[in-house]
Amino acid sequence: MATLTPTLTLNSADAFSDVVNFSITDDLTTKAPSQSLSTIVADTTGANNIIVAANDDKQTWVFIRHTGKAADGTTDTANHCDIEITGDVAAGTLKPGEFCFFPFCGNGASKGVQLQAVSASVTMEYAYWSDNTAQ
Amino acid sequence: MATTTASVSISSGDLIPGSNLSINASSTLMKAGLTTGLTQVESGVISLALDTDSKLGPLATEMSGDVHDIASWLYICNKATDDTHYMDFGIHNTNMGRLYAGDWMFIPWNASDDDAAIEVEAKIAAQTIEYAFFNSNFILTADAG
Repeated sequence: MATLTPTLTLNSADAFSDVVNFSITDDLTTKAPSQSLSTIVADTTGANNIIVAANDDKQTWVFIRHTGKAADGTTDTANHCDIEITGDVAAGTLKPGEFCFFPFCGNGASKGVQLQAVSASVTMEYAYWSDNTAQ
Repeated sequence: MATTTASVSISSGDLIPGSNLSINASSTLMKAGLTTGLTQVESGVISLALDTDSKLGPLATEMSGDVHDIASWLYICNKATDDTHYMDFGIHNTNMGRLYAGDWMFIPWNASDDDAAIEVEAKIAAQTIEYAFFNSNFILTADAG
């Protein structure tokens, strides 16, 4: 059992007429399985790029970042990558350099998480941690 | 043009023996072209009734056609203090995950069609959540399918 501490900071001096600047943190207890920081070249077929397998309802925390690199490692500032639930259910799109962090559990539907490049293969970075507790 | 910066750090001192985990990432939230900052923001605190499916924000229901497919970001924090309380969230009528008391998430959101609303539902008891949407009116590249 380990403790994972994620912290998010959002700030903007001009999104509102008042300055936005806040941080929020959490303490998460994790167990096996976990996947350390890894990279994958995501192509345009989501089923080829499953990064979290169907997990039978285990609470899992997922970090994903678009590295801004193409499949060959060269800089790519144009091609996006969709974050999907397996079965091609698109949730959101990461543009080069962007990241996300969210909890995931299949909730009895035997679902996982997959990546699907929108136009051309891109290099993505990801990691996940589970608390191995049925939800 | 607004400039909004999001940063995350994920750390652990005991996940892997002898190796501290320290992940750090930061990005400026941009419209689809990556050169202009997102311009629309909605934030607030709302109460979720127990076992009642709610769609977050006016963006979930007021957009139509291609206007859906824009660069959007969503932050949610479950402000519950009882460890057993949680809220489910999902998209396309598919449950994605759950936020327990004090947990937060930060995700991109493609409101690609009328079924792509972010849905939230309090479990065990009514709960209060804090949320913020950042989005643009700039349509994303079409999905590869």
